[in-house]
Amino acid sequence: MPARTRRRATALVALALAVAGVGLVGSTAQAAPVVLSLCAQAGTTTLPGEVAAVPIWGFGVPTTPGDCSTATPSLPGPVLTVTEGDTVTLTVTNALPAGTAEVPHALRIEAPGIAFDPGPTDAAVGATVSRTFTASAPGTYLYQSGGDGGRQEAMGLYGALLVRPATAGQAYDDPATAYDVEAVLVLSAVDPAFNAAPDTSDLHGYDATSWLIGGQPYPATAPIVAAAGQRVLLRYVNAGFDNTSMALLGMHQHVVARDARPLTQPVDVTAETIPAGATEDTLATVPTTPPPGPNGFPLYNRQLHVTNGPQTGTSPTPATGGGMLTFIHP
Amino acid sequence: MSERAAAPHPRHRIAARVAAAVSTLTAALVVAAPPAVALPPGAPPTGMVCTPGTLVGSTRTFHLAARTGYIDTPDGNSVFMWSYANGDAPDAGKFQSPGPVLCANQGETVVVALTNSLPEPSGVVFPGQDAAVTATGGTPGLLTSEAAVGGGTVTYTFTASSPGTYLYESGSDVAKQVEMGLVGALVVRPTLGADYAYGTGTQFDPSREYLLLLDEIDPDLHHAVETATRYDVNAQRDRYFSINGREFPDTVQDNGTGQLPNQPYGALVRIQPTTPSNPRPALVRMLNAGLLNHPFHPHGNHTTQIAQDGRPVPTSEHFAETIGAGQTADFLLRWDDVDQWNATTHPLPVGPPNYRNVFFKDGNTYYSGSPYLGSKGTLPTGTVSQNVCGEWYFPMHSHALNEFTNFDQGFGGMGTLLRVDPPGGCTAYPTSATLVGATLKSGAVTALAADDTATYQLNPRTTTRPTATTAGATTITVASAAGFPTSGTYDVRIDNEVLLVTGGQGTTTWTVARGQLGTVAATHATNATVSALATDWYAGFTGLPAGAQNLKVTYKGTSCATTTGSTCAALTTNLPQQTVRICNWTVGGAAGCATPTSPGWVTLPPPPAQPQGVGSTAVTSTWTLPNPAAAYVGTGANKGQVRVLVHTQRFTAPSPTPFSTWGNLLTVVYDAP
Repeated sequence: MPARTRRRATALVALALAVAGVGLVGSTAQAAPVVLSLCAQAGTTTLPGEVAAVPIWGFGVPTTPGDCSTATPSLPGPVLTVTEGDTVTLTVTNALPAGTAEVPHALRIEAPGIAFDPGPTDAAVGATVSRTFTASAPGTYLYQSGGDGGRQEAMGLYGALLVRPATAGQAYDDPATAYDVEAVLVLSAVDPAFNAAPDTSDLHGYDATSWLIGGQPYPATAPIVAAAGQRVLLRYVNAGFDNTSMALLGMHQHVVARDARPLTQPVDVTAETIPAGATEDTLATVPTTPPPGPNGFPLYNRQLHVTNGPQTGTSPTPATGGGMLTFIHP
Repeated sequence: MSERAAAPHPRHRIAARVAAAVSTLTAALVVAAPPAVALPPGAPPTGMVCTPGTLVGSTRTFHLAARTGYIDTPDGNSVFMWSYANGDAPDAGKFQSPGPVLCANQGETVVVALTNSLPEPSGVVFPGQDAAVTATGGTPGLLTSEAAVGGGTVTYTFTASSPGTYLYESGSDVAKQVEMGLVGALVVRPTLGADYAYGTGTQFDPSREYLLLLDEIDPDLHHAVETATRYDVNAQRDRYFSINGREFPDTVQDNGTGQLPNQPYGALVRIQPTTPSNPRPALVRMLNAGLLNHPFHPHGNHTTQIAQDGRPVPTSEHFAETIGAGQTADFLLRWDDVDQWNATTHPLPVGPPNYRNVFFKDGNTYYSGSPYLGSKGTLPTGTVSQNVCGEWYFPMHSHALNEFTNFDQGFGGMGTLLRVDPPGGCTAYPTSATLVGATLKSGAVTALAADDTATYQLNPRTTTRPTATTAGATTITVASAAGFPTSGTYDVRIDNEVLLVTGGQGTTTWTVARGQLGTVAATHATNATVSALATDWYAGFTGLPAGAQNLKVTYKGTSCATTTGSTCAALTTNLPQQTVRICNWTVGGAAGCATPTSPGWVTLPPPPAQPQGVGSTAVTSTWTLPNPAAAYVGTGANKGQVRVLVHTQRFTAPSPTPFSTWGNLLTVVYDAP
């Protein structure tokens, strides 16, 4: 137990870094060879509203590359950040528990929209796989392990990969994508019953009870701190199984890119649907007028997955708000 | 569902509803309850119905009341709902689902005053309003200020700064309150005018503006709220999928139908083919107030998306478009009849389908028996067609087909019909012609059905005067009165003298005034010809439905210089004067229109003004009758009948010459109910 406590504390530190947009930074503004080292391993996370700590499989950053005893898995994985033009080597060690013949727990490292160089894609338990690519196009990407037929994503093996343009403070090469504040919003859900038995649970009965932004539900979601007049870049990464509509009150979202490709004709929306497995980038300018409520401008799942944990009462809980909800406020 | 398939009709349901309505009526008679009217006066039977609120200066105020109530579903269920009642409606806030459609103009200050009758605090959010929404009264909640239980109030104020289609919905306990139905639509019209959705490229036909608000219901969750038992949103499994608070086929019922007292908004979409006189598209405002993304699929033509969430987007064409939860999308919808199929002039390259292969449901159908727009054909014996005049019905529905059901039974749920009326509306053609002051020269009534070379030709009625006439005689006998008017005064001509018949009409002994219209009384020889100065005849139309509106009468005819000959002799000066009239059945019924001078005939109102001079150059005129049009469509023994009279007269002093009247086209175009 002491070991578990220590591990969880480290995981929370890693999570805080990820929310702040630091995560694992591959390079400076100069294009360069970059090596990113990750471990995939089992851990737990504590989710408000769930009756017990939830087992997860997550990516962590080993302080000693290749030594997963120095890593702590987080939900989601760390934000990986590289710069346009970097030649990137992503090395992942599989430290998951041993699997079965049907569910072997082999990693399959994927990042939709990234063209990896030819080479191995998988790592069996105990093995390491290195995938290389050139960060040719700026944008927001999802990285994940596609192993075990989707079970590894449900367990938490996903995260955000950011390719920054050469010009700092922009989402893309277009100066119109300049921003003041950046928020990486990894959307996902958790069914604790599945996570408790990932090898044997029937995915047909998958029934999430926690709805997360950056691995936590409201009120544990990270607020988006921005002052009036500031331009906020919302980098959505939908790592969940549902097409998810995110509504923002008090300001329109200017959709500048979908799946890391700039839109030739951006659109302004109130509620944007991010398909499962997709990413989107929107810009919102914080009004100078007051928000509709005391907590700021709400950004929330419009399918109204704004509850935490099993729902056993006569009203959704918690009454004070939960799930995929956060606020933009100063 | 296949293209142009017939849709089921809720016969059993309607029978049940009629029975219910009768029992309700009976109850109402007993308790003398006031009528429940959720819609403003003059609301159209189809299309978007605005709640205008109260405008003072540039501030428009709406009153909403959050309360509980019940809706009816087509499978006979009754579902407990929460919704916004319309405090500004004539019924002063009776329950309705969904909330009222709030309409404001760009730049106005909008005030929404909420009174909360729910068992928990409730507030409203206005997604898409980027101007500040300030709340007065109430208590701050998680997302917005809330009105307390027990009749608490809160008032929201904002500037309607951008035109568009928006939702308003609960911002309190949203996982329950939005699912329970606390949603509605807010429409902001641009400064360009009410016939624009946004900018200059978004003009539409304001008489064809539609709003479709999508939602879904898990009745188990609603039952849990009603009975205060476990409410598990994660177990949500929807059974009903609604448009404007109704499930198909209730969606195609009229706005404000008494069969659905708490669901005032219909969802039938009606358009007409694009023509030079109908160049503008319809506007379809769509909103997804539900918790699921809905792929909405109109059959037939593509639709053009012009906006999302109240903001213009680059236009794109769709035959299916997913409206995400919380989103709105605006579409321009037109019907371009690119193939121009026509039963007579441009038939299909292959024969029309055997009617046995067309889908009929419970002996009911919206199919006309003909694949041609505006035509009707043969249907199987016993099939009841809801089709009025050969219009087409296309489904518009969620293509998540589990949502096109009512409790798993299809078709139902999130579906409605797109009704394509024939160009200009339904067209009726004469089925009979009655001569009330003329004789048939040539042709048949069928010649009036098309603008072609076939014409219906008439001559003034003539008879003879068996004996000589003195210049002073005021009573004359004629060989026959047949074909002359049987009442009223009318002019006849003997040689170059005009006489006015003032008595004895319908008999062979007439009382006359001599030397009329500038002529001089003269003597006339034995067996002189007596001819009418005018031709009077009327065409009878049958089969118009009760409730037909916007009647338009079109007549194309000529006056030719002789009463003989198979070609129209030129007549270009001192033109015969033509007056076209319609029968007002409320004046004496059929008897009121029995003769050309009967009191029931109403001169069709200008434009164009009447009488008109009509010579050998054809004149085509269309007159539009003011609504309500019920007086012109017969009832009882004359059910569905319309009569149109054409009166043409000419006198040329000092030597009048006879002329003939040639009718080419006579139609009545109307909007069927």
